[in-house]
Amino acid sequence: MENLIAANIRSRPTRTFISILAVALGVTLMLVIGGITNGWLNEYLGRTIAVGADFIFQPPGSSVFYAFSDAELPIKLANKLQEVPGISAVTPVLSKFSMAQFGLIFGIDLESYSKFPGRLHIISGKPSLKDDEVIVDQLYAETKKLSPGMPLTILNHNFTVTAICRPGSVVRVFAPLKTLQKLIGTPDRVTIMFMKAEPKSNVDAVFHELRRRFPDNSIIQASDPNLLLADTRLPGLKEFRITLIIVSMLLSFMVILLAMYTTIFERTREIGILKSLGASRRFIVGMILKESAIICCLGALLGIGISEIARKIIVTKFPTQPVAIGLNDLILGLILGLLAGTMGAIYPAYKAARMDPVRALTYE
Amino acid sequence: MVESSSSCAIETINLNMTYRSGKVDVPALQNVNVSVERGEFVAVVGPSGCGKSTLLHLLGGLMQPTGGSVILDGIDISKLTDSERTAIRRKKIGYVFQRFNLLPTLSAKGNIELAKKIQGNGYLSPNGVDQILDMLGLANKINFRPAELSGGEQQRVAIARAVINRPAIILADEPTGSLDSRNSRIVLQVLRDLNEKLSQTIVMITHDPEAASTANRVIEMKDGQIIDAPSVLYCEPDFENSVGNP
Repeated sequence: MENLIAANIRSRPTRTFISILAVALGVTLMLVIGGITNGWLNEYLGRTIAVGADFIFQPPGSSVFYAFSDAELPIKLANKLQEVPGISAVTPVLSKFSMAQFGLIFGIDLESYSKFPGRLHIISGKPSLKDDEVIVDQLYAETKKLSPGMPLTILNHNFTVTAICRPGSVVRVFAPLKTLQKLIGTPDRVTIMFMKAEPKSNVDAVFHELRRRFPDNSIIQASDPNLLLADTRLPGLKEFRITLIIVSMLLSFMVILLAMYTTIFERTREIGILKSLGASRRFIVGMILKESAIICCLGALLGIGISEIARKIIVTKFPTQPVAIGLNDLILGLILGLLAGTMGAIYPAYKAARMDPVRALTYE
Repeated sequence: MVESSSSCAIETINLNMTYRSGKVDVPALQNVNVSVERGEFVAVVGPSGCGKSTLLHLLGGLMQPTGGSVILDGIDISKLTDSERTAIRRKKIGYVFQRFNLLPTLSAKGNIELAKKIQGNGYLSPNGVDQILDMLGLANKINFRPAELSGGEQQRVAIARAVINRPAIILADEPTGSLDSRNSRIVLQVLRDLNEKLSQTIVMITHDPEAASTANRVIEMKDGQIIDAPSVLYCEPDFENSVGNP
């Protein structure tokens, strides 16, 4: 039967090619968009952890994604947080997502921010953030071809780059807190507060004390990646991933359904011949399913190949755009591509197996 | 399944077939009683629409009769399910069609091997494929696709496919209907040889008197009934020299 399947696949090269391409497209869509999402998420969380804060303090109902949060916290709250026993450092931060830069900008107070382990490690220039000064990380500077002393326009405001810091900081662009507050129009307001516990303090006890004193606010233990990743703090992410998988699978499913359904009509007479030779329903169903499985497998492998090429192009052209496609994602793409296509072939296979042999033999 | 120890390869008992066309019943076969002995070569003749093809489809288990029985190699196949009839067809029937009905994507050898695979439920035992192709004068055409073969060659491949599993009976539906006279003679000689040398039972439908004369016995049909008593024809045409030399 393998020869028959291979012959059928070879005999209709255009149909086979389009089917393979469509499955590949579904798998690529899932892997690349999923990879970008994962890349952002991983980098986001990695950078957040890299600040070295023990706690992240936010307004009620906030997400760990600062970009989604407004500047709602009064900056005076920093003093109250500093009074909590066990807290050694507090730094207020105003975050702003810049569409032009396609990234977050942090408005910080450099002095308090420098008390954290993830402080800016300057590799060139002088560590200064006054008025219209900005510090950018090395990757950002390389992408934008910046060096200390050069101008940089952000949020329609002209800044001067004072220093380049090592990559791995929480964001790639740091501006003075007060300047950013003025630009956004939220004076004395910030988005988040990073807090550091005293070295020998009981972090859990400090956390509970914070929760007791500020019951309405969102407080995250930033040192625990699992807590950061908890779905309740990442609104819509799970739904987004499920939607992405469903759309990709539907694409493969529908293409294979259509391709195999058309094939069944094309091959009505051939199915009649097989039945006259005594081919069982199982044989015919197996033939159709194996054919679609081969097409889907080739499509999924092509999709994986295209995704890898797309990933390399994206990270080369846009170095600040992480794309995380792991082995698990590749295996998932292969399985889902195969599964969706096979499911799409079930109905045509069933229809073929139930054909009346006499009608099929006389089909024109 | 009902089995008998009859010497009949196939037999019908009061066989009836009625098609439903809208609200009208159209009788295609009426009380047909036919008996074909093992090793016999029988031709069924008659005008178009007399029920020959319906009879052949019922004999091969492609359809279920509306009445009566078909006893194939001792088994009443008229009472079997579709799956059981398919299994019987796989083991005991070889079909030869007017339009050859080879799978266009497979080579001559591939078409014959497919029949072996189906018979073996997917397992291929390649024995016999090359021999039968050689016997039918197709040894140098084994890798040719149907489109690359002449009509006579295609029909010989179809015959090879039909006999490769040594079926109890070959059912041939107008095997020379799409061939010129030269290729018709070659195909008829092949069928004759199979019958004489391998004692292969053959039931052949034909319009062609010359083709019918190749058979041992001719059954004539009209309006869904057998109208002629079995008659034995002694016809020994000298076709041997033309086999394998299209």
